[in-house]
Amino acid sequence: MPILTIDTVTKRYGKFTAVDKASFEARPGRILGLLGPNGAGKTSTIRMIANITAADEGEIRLDEKPVGPWVQRHLGYLPEERGLYKKLKVSEQLLYFAQLRGLRRDDATGRIRHWLKRFDMEKWAASKTQELSKGMQQKIQFISTILPDPDLLILDEPFSGLDPINSELLRDIILEQKDAGRTILFASHRMEQVEQLCDDICLIAEGRILVHGSLRDIKNSFGRDSINLEFEGDGAFLDPFVSSGQIRITSRTHHSAEIRLLNGAPARNILEAAVNHTDALYRYELVMPSLSEIFISLVEGKSAA
Amino acid sequence: MNRIPIVLKSEFKRRVTSKGFILTTLLGPIGILVFFGIIILISAEAVDSDSRTIAVVDDTNVLLEHMLNLQSVDHRFTPVDAPLDTVRAQTLAGVYDGYLHLPAGLLTDEASPEYYSPEGGGFSLANDLEYRIGHALRQHRIGEHNLSPEVLKSLDTNVSLGLMKLTDDGEEAGASWVYSALGGFMGFLIYMTMLIYGTVVLYGVIEEKSTRVVEIMISSIRPFELLMGKVLGIGLMGLVQLTVWALLMMGGLALAGVVAGMFLDPSTLGVPATASSQELLAAADITLPNVSVDVFVWFVLFFLVGYLLYAGLFAAVGSMVEQQQDTQGLLLPVMMPIIVSIMFISPVLENPHSSLAVILSLIPFTAPVPMVVRLAVTEVPLWEVLLSFSLLCAGFVATIWVSSRIYRVGILMYGKKATLKDLIRWFRYA
Repeated sequence: MPILTIDTVTKRYGKFTAVDKASFEARPGRILGLLGPNGAGKTSTIRMIANITAADEGEIRLDEKPVGPWVQRHLGYLPEERGLYKKLKVSEQLLYFAQLRGLRRDDATGRIRHWLKRFDMEKWAASKTQELSKGMQQKIQFISTILPDPDLLILDEPFSGLDPINSELLRDIILEQKDAGRTILFASHRMEQVEQLCDDICLIAEGRILVHGSLRDIKNSFGRDSINLEFEGDGAFLDPFVSSGQIRITSRTHHSAEIRLLNGAPARNILEAAVNHTDALYRYELVMPSLSEIFISLVEGKSAA
Repeated sequence: MNRIPIVLKSEFKRRVTSKGFILTTLLGPIGILVFFGIIILISAEAVDSDSRTIAVVDDTNVLLEHMLNLQSVDHRFTPVDAPLDTVRAQTLAGVYDGYLHLPAGLLTDEASPEYYSPEGGGFSLANDLEYRIGHALRQHRIGEHNLSPEVLKSLDTNVSLGLMKLTDDGEEAGASWVYSALGGFMGFLIYMTMLIYGTVVLYGVIEEKSTRVVEIMISSIRPFELLMGKVLGIGLMGLVQLTVWALLMMGGLALAGVVAGMFLDPSTLGVPATASSQELLAAADITLPNVSVDVFVWFVLFFLVGYLLYAGLFAAVGSMVEQQQDTQGLLLPVMMPIIVSIMFISPVLENPHSSLAVILSLIPFTAPVPMVVRLAVTEVPLWEVLLSFSLLCAGFVATIWVSSRIYRVGILMYGKKATLKDLIRWFRYA
């Protein structure tokens, strides 16, 4: 099973540098979350891995072999912008994509039947793609990605447009693929999904890698610097902490707040204030920051620097 | 592994099985017939509306009679016995379209006829009137000499020039205008089909780009394979359509021959009553052009490579835009040469060996139309055909190379319209 290596890769479009000496690694049997704000260079990176474009500098290797046209035989790529031939029937569409990726016709038809059944789409096999709902098209697209059993799966926002039931089904299948030893690259903005699924993360901003490593290590490195509060009463007691730059409130309702401690502010100050100023304190919890909090602080720290 | 055939097959099948394709393929010839029928009707109508009512003031008292003896489909001549001023007033009031004054001195060459009309008349009207008056004058002068009817009859000649085509086989085949018509038709057909099928390629590329399916495609195959598969698949579709059209039209011609044969009377043509419809047609001097197979083979070859050349360019244009509306400005420079080649179709038809015709048929971008026209109407030296075809093939290789370099970058570009500077940059990308 392959290791995907991105080795000091740079990609420029004219004067614009989309990816700047990026290096990271994705391993078999693990899911790597590729995160970054819009325009960070995620799609550029993915396109180089898929051999759609070529790196200007550096090298991308799959199993220590530099990528080339051959890599497309080992790859299942689900782009963020979905697209299908609207006039083709579902089964024709899947067969076409499968044949383009080297599957024989009889082999492909068996697999198509299997996956349509798995996604509860059998009765749509003879329908034209344009008759399908967006969620169903999404499932067809995923099936076409996974059909040839690729060693390396690149999934860009695979859950967008899916209802909770189908999201869960998709998550199960992705985890199955992981257990089968596939290397999976998962690009997303949805931090809670990344946090649920990924073993490793790689955070890109402005073409550079900000953080790369296992999710647990990264969270540990931030320590328990976040507080979850639930209380009865006025939350205004938090405002002086905000204005003095000791905390940042990442989410706030009438009776709850998620707080991030800044500049080494002691957590007990918040506790004391909460006890003194609220009618009742239901919850005070010192936790590791959420991934989205890490994401925001890293990206903002980057642009501030 | 080469995946062009897979793309080709899918593109071909998808299009050939569409309702639109089946309809246009079966109804195309009818459409063409209706199209030409309407043109003929309109021209006939235009000639009709041209007919004038002309008052004739004949001071010679003899010429009008002779003029009226000549049949006229165009104009009605009305003898008028009134003062010129009155006729003038009537003409201005719209009673007549114009009036012709034949002065008495005309008989002795001392005066000239004059035609007056509010619109001033036209070149063809002047020709027609001159011919009629000249004829009338001649008839009148012949009559003055009391010639016998035999002499008069022997003077009455009617020459119709027969245009024959001389080929290497020494055969004098049917009327030359049939070849001109065929050449014009084939030239027009190659022009239309290159444009139509090129546009199908253009819209195919735009559709793939706007539905974003292209990103999936090129994560599976190389852009060049997608481009070539698509272009070849649509070309094959075009070839099938042309073949069906050719068969339908040949069938239609054969049927027309049989039908015409049924309406011809064997006895008036001096052939036995048992004669076949072909013999009947031959006796009635209705000949179908005897076109050698070479012409059709070259037609197919020039159509195919010409289509491929333009399809590549159309695909490049398609890759640069996201919507069909955005193509206009970009398409014009691409279509310019092909429009030039169809604009020059009639000089090429009239003089297929002029240097204009030769030069046009050697430039790859303009070659297909004039070359097919020339092959149909005349004998073109083989070396010239081969040179033209080789240059066309070389042109195709060059344009597909340029097009595929633009295409592979263009299909991934969204958001802004490409400028010429972008194009040059894309072209240089690794």
